[in-house]
Amino acid sequence: MIPFVLAGLAVLLAWVAPGLMARRKDFRRAPRSALVAWQAVSVGGILAALAAAPAAIPLVLDGDDPLRHLGLVLVAVLVSALLIVRLLFAGHDVGTRLRRVRSDHRQLVDIVAQHDERMRILQHPTPTAYCIPGRQSRVVLTQGVLDALPADQLDAVIAHEDAHLRGRHDLLLEFFAVVTRAVPGPLRSEEALGEVRLLVEALADRAAVRRSGEVATARALMTLAGSRTPEAALGVGTTAPVRLRLLADGPPSPVLPVVAYAFATVAATLPLLLLGLAWR
Amino acid sequence: MPHSTSAPRLGDLERVVMEHLWEASASGGASFEGATVREVHDRFEGEREIAYTTVMTVLDRLAKKQLVTRERDGRAWRYFPADTREALTAQTMLRTLDDMEVTDRRTALLHFLDGATTDELADIKAALAEIEARAEGDPGTAGSDGRRSMIRRR
Repeated sequence: MIPFVLAGLAVLLAWVAPGLMARRKDFRRAPRSALVAWQAVSVGGILAALAAAPAAIPLVLDGDDPLRHLGLVLVAVLVSALLIVRLLFAGHDVGTRLRRVRSDHRQLVDIVAQHDERMRILQHPTPTAYCIPGRQSRVVLTQGVLDALPADQLDAVIAHEDAHLRGRHDLLLEFFAVVTRAVPGPLRSEEALGEVRLLVEALADRAAVRRSGEVATARALMTLAGSRTPEAALGVGTTAPVRLRLLADGPPSPVLPVVAYAFATVAATLPLLLLGLAWR
Repeated sequence: MPHSTSAPRLGDLERVVMEHLWEASASGGASFEGATVREVHDRFEGEREIAYTTVMTVLDRLAKKQLVTRERDGRAWRYFPADTREALTAQTMLRTLDDMEVTDRRTALLHFLDGATTDELADIKAALAEIEARAEGDPGTAGSDGRRSMIRRR
């Protein structure tokens, strides 16, 4: 029975839960704990998938000596091993590509941009700001953004990008990109990556608020939102309206993070508990 | 670690060499006939201790990255910037926006903002008005207008 529960749990955590969680928009107000919950669900899904076949072994053996069913034991181990290989491949694929894109871009920026003590300035009128994560990270601003924003709003933007780099938000995004890639097509949920992207932005916005206050952060968002052509044609939702709404709504009730952490604990440990039960 | 201060020496040189080529090409105008490794090397005389072979390596790397083009001139190569600095900057900007598949790009570089549609702008304005109204009612949380910026303005 337990192997089927585990398999069901894997599908639940990889496929059903992301959709449900993405609809619980109030958790966006507690982005840090929500991110923990998202990671726990992903890790839990992986663990459940890995544990399903090994959990079936005691069922098959039914008290017999494992050596007498060596073939079946091997099959169970092989199934889990294949899953791990699939994950490793996805990790390698996504990781290599991201590192190459970042490194190419960083080299280009280092050559064309002006060097400030802490950042790179592109001589370009479009107001934009971004960071290139990685071991040799960079914060990149355009002359356009320096011209468009007053000092405190600019500080908010820089604090936001610094928060991405300091918190290694790129690793979070990479993890979810890898998991998304590793899950087979029909079971894949793109919602996780999209929601995590938004939560990471909301988290970085909080660093901006701590640095420059809500008003300056909100105004910076407003100015930059109005200055760029959106990617609506590419079917990508923008994060600006949600982030401003989060700033306007203020901090959540203290219960929310507690619920998120409790949920995270259950999602990550349930597969291991079930595996333990199967082998008892 | 963020903001490593010790940029790799070769990358640093690539920038200096590109800047030199851009300057030379701008001051030479239409009659600019490229620069040889020797000319670039001479340019650094008295400023930096750079070996001739290093300049050669740097120009070679820049050629591989398609940032410079070169033409044979007898036994030497003459190097030209492939594009003006402005054009390359514009290209860099475009690459952050258009070049890669969307998912990849959005994971590779973290933008402060990904733009907004006209409809969204209305929502954004409404939320901003709420925040501003609340701040006016409670000046303690109004932020830090006029605080000195962390960055030197140009």
